[in-house]
Amino acid sequence: MRHYEVVFMVHPGQSEQVPGMIERYSNLITQGGGAVHRVEDWGRRQLAYPINKIFKAHYAMLNIECGLDTLEELSDAFRFNDAVIRNMIMGRKQADLGESPIMKIENESKERKTREESRAARAESKATEATPKPAASEPASEAASAAEQGA
Amino acid sequence: MSRFFRRRKYCRFTAEGITEVDYKDVELLKAYITETGKIVPSRITGTKAKYQRQLAKAVKRARYLALLPYTDAHK
Repeated sequence: MRHYEVVFMVHPGQSEQVPGMIERYSNLITQGGGAVHRVEDWGRRQLAYPINKIFKAHYAMLNIECGLDTLEELSDAFRFNDAVIRNMIMGRKQADLGESPIMKIENESKERKTREESRAARAESKATEATPKPAASEPASEAASAAEQGA
Repeated sequence: MSRFFRRRKYCRFTAEGITEVDYKDVELLKAYITETGKIVPSRITGTKAKYQRQLAKAVKRARYLALLPYTDAHK
């Protein structure tokens, strides 16, 4: 049993199948007596260069521990799946846990987006309530948030 | 005697205590490739040989996975 890191890229048209594929491959590994330590779905990303005239791909990464026969089964599964446009299997010395740098960036941008959305929503609600003082002073905003909670 | 003052080169990986160069850290790798996509030699960046080897491998992995370009002449 050795540790491996597996990254595969899926055709953007088959993007919806990715969660199912991850589950299928995880089952394959666990049935072979291995273990899955980390699973990451990086989502659809812009490629640095087009591959077969495709400009985007859905990335997924697995950190696994398995035997050689299971690994061969996995790479065969990649080869015979037309939706997988590219894959890479790398040997690792230990099980990798925690967030990868790519996932960190993705999560941060997602967080920023939700924060901006909530800020926009708050600004909108403030505007609709039309407080007598147009300048957003502290008590006014507090009252607005209290009203929101009440509603 | 050099007439121009050059900023001291230093190895970022040694200084920051990075044990392993990760191919997934695209923002870090981008600092070590030129506009044309070549890997910048360690004699320019001052990276220690141990980390330059890891860096080269990481860049090549990132290129294969289309996280980094091979060249600026793509498309």
